[in-house]
Amino acid sequence: MKLHHYETFYLLHPDLNDEDRAAISERLQKIIIEKNGQVVKNDPWPLQKLAYKTRKQTKGYYIVLEYGAAADVIFDINRELRLDDRVLRFMTSKLGEKFDYEAIIKAYQDKASKRNVSEEPIDEAATAPELQELGE
Amino acid sequence: MQEDKTSRLKRRRVYVRRKVCRFCADKAMVIDYKDVDTMRHFTTERGKIMSSRITGTCAKHQRRLTKAIKQARMMALLPFTSAHALRD
Repeated sequence: MKLHHYETFYLLHPDLNDEDRAAISERLQKIIIEKNGQVVKNDPWPLQKLAYKTRKQTKGYYIVLEYGAAADVIFDINRELRLDDRVLRFMTSKLGEKFDYEAIIKAYQDKASKRNVSEEPIDEAATAPELQELGE
Repeated sequence: MQEDKTSRLKRRRVYVRRKVCRFCADKAMVIDYKDVDTMRHFTTERGKIMSSRITGTCAKHQRRLTKAIKQARMMALLPFTSAHALRD
């Protein structure tokens, strides 16, 4: 079946420990892989303060899961998240009609390497004048 | 009288620097609902979405920006109003 490029962004309860959070994300990834999908990125954010109270919670763990999957997998993913009361919020959005695993990975790598290249000269330029000023 | 009025109107016209859409100027800037810091620039202190008239965002990007801000609100990344926002 044709794969589409999706992203699921969900918010977990702040009282969960590392293992519970890992278990939830693993279960989601298993659903995707079982149905011939591919996971591109699983990016858990550190504990973050929320903009407003949700289910009496003021903090939470956000997790970004980016993957390629067939359209019917989204139904399973969303049901899984909806039934789990440790998940405070979730949102799945389509990033693109086409899913090309290698192209996406490559785009990420290019972006990362570009960032490294552009940051290095700036760092040198920024630190050098400071040293001079201190010397004076 | 008439002349006096027109001259005053003319004087009152203020020339504002033309604003440029930030997303058009910087192609590397992507509108993403997860990028809270960027979206904070386009909301007021009360949490309202700022109009493109004020920020200078072009219509195409304003549409996407509005959507992204609303998505961020749903995910509790941005407040709906300052009244609901958490204090410290």
